Amino acid sequence: MNDLPAGPALLALAREVLLRDLLPLLPQAVHLDARLIANSIAIAEREAVSGEPPAMRVRDGLKRLYCGKGEEKTGLLSRFAQDLRRGSFETSEPQDREAREIMWRLTIAKLRNANPRFLSANGFS
Amino acid sequence: MDAYFTSGMLAGDQKLVLRTAASTGVAASLDRLQEFAVLRAAFGAGVTVPEPLFANDDPAVFGKPFFIMRRVDGSAAAHRITRDPALDPALPTIAERLGRELARIHSIRPRRADLEFLAPYEEVEPEHQIAGFRTYLDTHPAPRPVLEWGIRWLELHLPPATDPVLCHHDFRTGNYMLDGTVLTGILDWEFSGWGDPHEDIGWFCSKGWRFARLDREAGGIADRAPFYRGYESESGRRVDPERVFFWEVLASVRWAVIALQQSDRYMSGGERSLDLALTGRRASECELELLMLLDPGGAPRDE
Repeated sequence: MNDLPAGPALLALAREVLLRDLLPLLPQAVHLDARLIANSIAIAEREAVSGEPPAMRVRDGLKRLYCGKGEEKTGLLSRFAQDLRRGSFETSEPQDREAREIMWRLTIAKLRNANPRFLSANGFS
Repeated sequence: MDAYFTSGMLAGDQKLVLRTAASTGVAASLDRLQEFAVLRAAFGAGVTVPEPLFANDDPAVFGKPFFIMRRVDGSAAAHRITRDPALDPALPTIAERLGRELARIHSIRPRRADLEFLAPYEEVEPEHQIAGFRTYLDTHPAPRPVLEWGIRWLELHLPPATDPVLCHHDFRTGNYMLDGTVLTGILDWEFSGWGDPHEDIGWFCSKGWRFARLDREAGGIADRAPFYRGYESESGRRVDPERVFFWEVLASVRWAVIALQQSDRYMSGGERSLDLALTGRRASECELELLMLLDPGGAPRDE
């Protein structure tokens, strides 16, 4: 429906212009702010590109853990957090393994958008 | 600021720093007069700190409480300290020195009339910190499963009680000044309080404070060995790695909660700061570290 270039491409270009053309012209005192803006644009771009699939994988894991029983994603995630607080999966090895897998996938998916460099510095692609 | 005193003990030119009240947005920080008292105690214990000179809470002077300390030379820029190859050869020695400095801080023990304002240790033991984390998460709009899981682990692995010492509670790279390779001052004492000595050691070594060098486990500047060596030789006490591990896990939870609280200042506090807004994103870095500490090798193979 939208014309090209698409939103993520515009964000990437905007970031490039900021860092390549504008940053050298800005006083040193505001360089940090400019880099924070560039970082924010990069996060928005990555979120727009990654879309729903990472969240769906987490949701699928939660549905498996809870045997497909009801509740939309946010509700399941809250329930999951509360169950972890109570140690609800600690007596079942398969459930504990499934819970850990969900936590890994959730965290890696978030960092792929928020800070992929931190992820790769820790040995993840 | 630069000042000239016409008479008295400070007669002549002086390089000074004025510290006034400023909100960190993080609970449990000391006010400026309390911070001054802690700084004086540290100075008296031989810790390398900017010499504290005066404090005053009369609003007629600057409009808010303040203290003045000497200005020390150098830089505390953590990314530069952990990145600058010119510093590399000196960093193990600096780590050992920091271990000694920390041991001197920990030589200050309760009870002290000048530090009566500090919360009793019984109120800041890990059980209380755990309860505080959960209370915060109960108010947070988004569920944080990994933090809940990490906090649960902490609850199940509480270390035996210990004799409390004065903890800096933010002893890390970024909070000490280096002038070249010379340590000139330990800074930012506003979170100080009684605690387990291993708490400061775990905080210093936690991944959140290694900046550009995640591989150098002592503050991004060296291996743990020289840091521990300095601490042990000055304090006469062994560092207990298991206890450090517990506090490192707690450090990751604590830093995640602080990051979320900073972000709250934008999300719900009305502060239009990009820096604060982005800080909340760092909570996931702490959650990755929790997973790496508590479930090593557990990442799904396809990730």
